[in-house]
Amino acid sequence: MYQYNAEDKQFLVERVDQFEKQLRRHLSGELDEAKFRSLRLRNGLYMELHAHMLRIAIPYGILSSAQLRALADVADKYDRGFGHFTTRQNIQFNWIQLPEIANLLRDLTAAGLHAIQTSGKATRNITADPLSGLTEGEIEDARPYCELIRRWFNLHPEFSWLPGKFKIAINGAKLDETALRIHDLGLRLVRNEKGELGFSVFVGGGLGAAAMVAAETASFVPVADILSYLESSLRIYNLKGRRDHQKKLRIKFLVRELGAAEFSRLVDEDWQQTKDDPELKLNLNELESLKKDFALPIEPISLDGFKETVDFNYSIWKKNNVRSHKVSGHSIVNISLTKLGAPPGDATSEQMRILAKLADQFSSGEIRTTKRQTIVFPFVRKDQIFNLWKSLEQYGLASPHQGTLAQIVSCPGRDYCDLAKAVSIPIATRVQERFNDMNKLLDIGDLNINISGCENSCAHHHIADIGLLGMQKNGEEYYQITLAGETLNETNIGKKLGPSVSGETIVDAVEDIVNVYIANRQQEEKFTDVFKRIGITPFKEKVYG
Amino acid sequence: MDDIKNPTSLINKDYETINLVTFEEWIEDNGELSRLGVGIILEPSDDVSLIKDSLDSIELIALDFRNFDDGRSYSQAYLLSKRWHFRGEIIGINAHLDQLQFMIRSGITRYQLLESYSGFNEEDYANGFSICYQAAANNHGLNLKY
Repeated sequence: MYQYNAEDKQFLVERVDQFEKQLRRHLSGELDEAKFRSLRLRNGLYMELHAHMLRIAIPYGILSSAQLRALADVADKYDRGFGHFTTRQNIQFNWIQLPEIANLLRDLTAAGLHAIQTSGKATRNITADPLSGLTEGEIEDARPYCELIRRWFNLHPEFSWLPGKFKIAINGAKLDETALRIHDLGLRLVRNEKGELGFSVFVGGGLGAAAMVAAETASFVPVADILSYLESSLRIYNLKGRRDHQKKLRIKFLVRELGAAEFSRLVDEDWQQTKDDPELKLNLNELESLKKDFALPIEPISLDGFKETVDFNYSIWKKNNVRSHKVSGHSIVNISLTKLGAPPGDATSEQMRILAKLADQFSSGEIRTTKRQTIVFPFVRKDQIFNLWKSLEQYGLASPHQGTLAQIVSCPGRDYCDLAKAVSIPIATRVQERFNDMNKLLDIGDLNINISGCENSCAHHHIADIGLLGMQKNGEEYYQITLAGETLNETNIGKKLGPSVSGETIVDAVEDIVNVYIANRQQEEKFTDVFKRIGITPFKEKVYG
Repeated sequence: MDDIKNPTSLINKDYETINLVTFEEWIEDNGELSRLGVGIILEPSDDVSLIKDSLDSIELIALDFRNFDDGRSYSQAYLLSKRWHFRGEIIGINAHLDQLQFMIRSGITRYQLLESYSGFNEEDYANGFSICYQAAANNHGLNLKY
């Protein structure tokens, strides 16, 4: 798999050296809190309720087994023995002590990992499809483009002090696993009528208190011109984005105020002056070289005569967790970290090491992370899936919940985060307890529940079938319900069901919603399709009736 | 005064003192001012494109970097330097140590640090990184000090 070269690693080391100096100045009183905050966020470091939280980038959601072991070491050496996989495919550690941060970051550089621009008002780590390069019918494997664009935005001198944070997603598949239209900027790989490769560009998406779907600003930007187009988009945002209002910093507000057509015109006007600049052309030789680095480590194999093991629990797990691979004889295996009562996305150092060992044994040493806070093994031989399952089961990692309602996405909530208005994890646990019958889960089928503890929407509740948003009402925790959000085929923000529901009765409300779905479902109909057909009223009547 | 927030003159690379006017003053009376060979102080909120046709008659442009989190001056520097080929000095005033490398790569030709940074080794900060991934107005770690 692709690894950072000596130059990339030198860049990481220099970044740690720089931050270490800044930290020293801060601790000795030579760098004030406001400026240090701005600098530490650009190195992924947050001040949380009880300690410092460090977010480490998992570039476009791909890790080697060695990198996962390095993260396990960080968990043991600097944290309390666990980490938290996020909905943007990164990992966070919640119990970091400030004086130790430079040593921690230095340990990571040896494994080619870093925390550069994982927070702050700059371009963040790219969200990518965890199935990039693995499935049939893909337009193009997005990973080499992700890496070239990562290089372009790391410490970009002009765009490191933007009005707000800036999140990019890149998708090369037909289905959108990245939710690119809820990103500040989404790139979709497309081919034009001549068969040439390029990007459709979508700008101004985002969740939070004002959830918006990104508008298309360019239907086709040739691959070679994408960096200059990105620069023009960011230049218009940098110069014209709102800086006067804390809640209007994101590019979505600029796009809304100007109108998507005017924003697009301004970008285009700027772009006409740079698109032919040879320095801004995507390096196509480097692209070809990266494509080789990202080549799949497996060859097609014939498994004539192979007989799958018959085992009831295995077959349920396999149905929910295993997907077909474009390379014959192989499968994609999804591993759920969700355990009853444990925070979704949390993994102990022991689990990380086990996953690293199993990845070496079964998946060519590669691991991917997903926005549903799960782990993907991308290269598992079909005749080894049972053995992998047996190992996972032995270590308590064979949860068959993938793709069922019990695979809940949740932020850390008020238990850990000082921004949260309400708890998330205990609600997830109560929902899982309510729906703990596997037959029922299988009957309900693929249904997403996402729970965010505040309007920052870290759990992406707006794009779930059932989204819960925590809030405070007269000192008590309440949850606003949104229904039928989606991003896979088309992008729709969930519709508000009605008045928020108390923490006490929220699980009843979720069950009511699921029951309305089941009662109205025709054959294999998805939740969003039922919602579109019958409307919101039957759900309202059941929950508030 | 701790920090120089409103300089009324700056020295150019030929060590001549240049009188500075604000962007508003320039817009109001650029006919007269351009004959005097003045410099202009641009605030981050000033629309830099309004001076692009008069660049030949401007000696020096001072961009104000006092607000640490306001990144507009970097785009102003890029436009003046790279796109419009301004031949005078582009001086980053009220500059912060930790941002020197970004300023210089964006096209600043000189800088004037806030006084609170006196005593620090500027070279460490101005030279920046040995690896610059992306093209910019100036990719060399200049170390020109005002």
